[in-house]
Amino acid sequence: MRNMSIFLLSAAAIVLAGMTPAGAAWQPQKPIEFVATAGPGGGTDNLARAVQNIITKYKLTDQPIVVVNKGGGSGAEGYVYGKASAGDPHKVIFGTSNAWQQPLVSKVAFNYIDLTPIAAMAQDEFLLWVKQDSPYKTAGDYLKAAAANEFKMGGAQSKDTDEVLTRMIEKVGHVKLTYIPFKSGAEAAVQLAGGHIDSHVNNPSESLGQWRGGTQRPLCAFSPKRLPQGTKITATEGWSDVPTCVEQGLDIAQYEQPRTVWLPGKVTPEQAAFYVDLMKKVQATPEWKDYIEKTSQVDTFLTGDALDKFIKQDLEHLKQVASEQGWLIK
Amino acid sequence: MENLQELLHGFNIAITMPHLALMVIGVLLGILVGVLPGLGAPNGVSLLLPLTFGMQPVSAIILLSSMYWGALFGGSVTSILFNIPGEPSSVATTFDGYPMARDGRPTTALATAFGSAAFGALVGVILITFLASWVAEVALAFGPPEYFAVYFLAFASFVGMGGAAPIKTVVALGIGFAIAAIGIDTVSGSVRLTMGVDELVKGVNFVVAVMGLFGIGELLVAVEEEFHARAVSSKIDWREVFRAVGRLPRHSVALLRSAAIGCWMGITPGGPTAASFMSYGIARRFSRRGRYFGTGEVEGIISPETADHAAGTSALLPMLSLGIPGSATAAVMMGGLMIWGLNPGPMLFVDQKDFVWGLIASMYVGNIVAVVLVLLTVPVFAALMRIPFVVIAPLIVIICVVGAYSVSNSYLDVVMMMGFGIVGYLFKKLFYPLAPLVLAIVIGDKAEDAFRQSMLMSKGSLGIFFANRLVTCLVVAGIVLLLLPLALQLGRMLLRKPALPGDPTTSQEKVII
Amino acid sequence: MISRRALELATAVLTGSFGVAVVVSSLDNGIGWSSAGVESGTFPFLTGVIVVLGSLYNLARGALPGLTLASVPIAITPTELRRLAGLFVPAAIFVAAMPLIGIYLASAVYIFVVLAIPKHQSPMRSSMMAAATALGLYVVFERMFQVSLPHGALAAAFGF
Repeated sequence: MRNMSIFLLSAAAIVLAGMTPAGAAWQPQKPIEFVATAGPGGGTDNLARAVQNIITKYKLTDQPIVVVNKGGGSGAEGYVYGKASAGDPHKVIFGTSNAWQQPLVSKVAFNYIDLTPIAAMAQDEFLLWVKQDSPYKTAGDYLKAAAANEFKMGGAQSKDTDEVLTRMIEKVGHVKLTYIPFKSGAEAAVQLAGGHIDSHVNNPSESLGQWRGGTQRPLCAFSPKRLPQGTKITATEGWSDVPTCVEQGLDIAQYEQPRTVWLPGKVTPEQAAFYVDLMKKVQATPEWKDYIEKTSQVDTFLTGDALDKFIKQDLEHLKQVASEQGWLIK
Repeated sequence: MENLQELLHGFNIAITMPHLALMVIGVLLGILVGVLPGLGAPNGVSLLLPLTFGMQPVSAIILLSSMYWGALFGGSVTSILFNIPGEPSSVATTFDGYPMARDGRPTTALATAFGSAAFGALVGVILITFLASWVAEVALAFGPPEYFAVYFLAFASFVGMGGAAPIKTVVALGIGFAIAAIGIDTVSGSVRLTMGVDELVKGVNFVVAVMGLFGIGELLVAVEEEFHARAVSSKIDWREVFRAVGRLPRHSVALLRSAAIGCWMGITPGGPTAASFMSYGIARRFSRRGRYFGTGEVEGIISPETADHAAGTSALLPMLSLGIPGSATAAVMMGGLMIWGLNPGPMLFVDQKDFVWGLIASMYVGNIVAVVLVLLTVPVFAALMRIPFVVIAPLIVIICVVGAYSVSNSYLDVVMMMGFGIVGYLFKKLFYPLAPLVLAIVIGDKAEDAFRQSMLMSKGSLGIFFANRLVTCLVVAGIVLLLLPLALQLGRMLLRKPALPGDPTTSQEKVII
Repeated sequence: MISRRALELATAVLTGSFGVAVVVSSLDNGIGWSSAGVESGTFPFLTGVIVVLGSLYNLARGALPGLTLASVPIAITPTELRRLAGLFVPAAIFVAAMPLIGIYLASAVYIFVVLAIPKHQSPMRSSMMAAATALGLYVVFERMFQVSLPHGALAAAFGF
């Protein structure tokens, strides 16, 4: 009986809340679910948990936050889940550019337009890595050697960011590379340390420990300018000592992977605005700066039209690479 | 000897009152999430992780790893009592653990499992302590062809064709492989076998399959036979706990062999699941009482449990020294390491000596704390067997439903789980073997990925599986293990030695293998 | 009564049709060798073929009388069938009701029905157990570990 009255009361409250004019900003009414479209321990998962910790620490919302991992199908599981939760403003999906990339190359049951974009919060850089004791000192040496014998390039997943970059290197550098897909960048890093592949294009955080440990080293960064000065990684070098690929004659000026945040489709603009604001608050904390520095990412914040424009541009570029490779799904 | 000194220093860090208290809390919480289906060590770890940020990294990792031990132990409880393995690595424990518990000896089964598990874990820690750098090097030697060879070896040692209905085994294996292939394929990135169900893009989770095949399937078989657990003596019998543990040294050969298999599979990429299956398969083949396996044999519990824990423990080493997590829990812990500002990788052992050796020392202490606590709970768990079947059956149904649902908050998983229940019942009834099916679901897609990566590397030449000494040895060992039972059977046929028709174990054997 | 033979045949048909489904859908992915290595449909295709062939063998073996199965001709007796249904049917209804009324209400009703209706327990004790189950689930999953279980369409209509 008591339960019933609570039911009714809250039902009434909801109805009333629905009727209040849009003046009062929207606030979440129940626990918020952060859906990481990656397995535990991956970059996307780390981001979701870092944001969760910051929000909890500064009490940026009254509702508790739960992180769930839905990394099945290279993240498709999480996006499909987001699509199925249309209209539910208590689910926040954390992903990468694969939100628009995956539907392009495989028959997954979602597209990025099924979701409401909130922000792109950080950009992960890419570097070209080789084994520590390999003879190549510069990207030029690497390309010369790669032209003579077909190199094995490792990376995370198939037809995803790593393979797209590999195909770009092939085209720009006039070489042929054999791309071997692994489950994650960390796995590719270990394969390189063991000498089973010749190179990979990991993000800084994926190979940081390996660089420190002297099993592999970066040749160049796919970035318009050198990475920001940070603490030294090895005894003599830090990220800013890594030359850009353009400097070394590998003409790919920029290649980055955005970390994206989405709501399910069919949410109201007020609800989306709440999360844009929330993420902005997160970004202003020292903990966030700390997270960005530790994972060697670039701190950016794209939202609204800027984000739309970014997605459109990236999509155009991907379409081009994918059609050249014959990846586009029929 | 330098390591020994470091270890002593580590003990100084680990054996302090606050740290011991953290261990007890961690272990108890671990046992809880391990026993409860639908929850696992990753749940507990991600729950505790935010709490640990204020702590010293070493205290935090002690808390988390103690929970990991507790969960590993707790996971065997439901396997033994209700035939519901909560983790892939405890499937093999059900083969003999459940029959023994059903036979009215749940205390013995649980105590044996915990005792041998603790032994396996300790061997794993000792390995980490003294051979850390060597182990890291060995792990680096494994590329895709070697991965494939390890999986092949695991299959070969488990799925001998010696059983009674080889074609049924083949069908079960094939179905397992096909289920493993559902979802997105790593090597090509394309969606496979979803048969029009969009949600299947995530694949079929192991827990969903096993809750149905084992949990619900066994329930249906049991209700049909109107089975009643044989009267378990109503008074809590502490002595039996100690007797069971005390009897373990008699099986020292099995213990040592299983620990060796476990450590080997833990540092190579095989992992705990492959280790437990392989250890069970080999024990069944080489034990004198091998043909009674599946009816509640002590060694049938010792072998998978020891190997599982030895592998689970030694798998933490690649995480620390290489930065590759061996399991979901290890992955969450690794995320934690990074948030605490520690980078897993080769330099951890140099930069963070206190942390690493404190952790290793806490593995010794934590495991002892865990086994003591878990042995104390044995009579409590064993008492669950006294609940009448009519009451426990609906509870098991609910447990399986919740377990399947919470894997990824999906109703489809619950429906699939019930479907697997019917399949499990039919297979059991008609002597289709379930174990190869499960093994194929768990490592089938990994084996396929490794095979296709190897093919990419060699441009389609099978020669890559004989390219160096390591991979050749693994492949040859696998082929020998696969052909051995066939050769034996052929020999037996030539000698015209008739099989024993009245042997009560043959039908059981058919079910298991 | 269901004979062993009928059961064998039904199971072989079941596994066989799964095999056919696997073969058909793996053809979409392409089989054989391409520039990107072994194509993704190859292994599912092969396993599908093996499952189909194995099922055909089992089907033939089940259909032919007088083989090894003769010793156990009866698989499920009528009494056994009744017991099976007694367990499975309520469980299936429980699962079917879950999306509508949520797991808490569904499990409480389920426990009460299977205990009280066949008179295994008194109505009083049955309802206590039912309430304890639902409450236990709620406290452990929803409260302690923050794992959200299905609340059902009915609860959602009331705003939960």
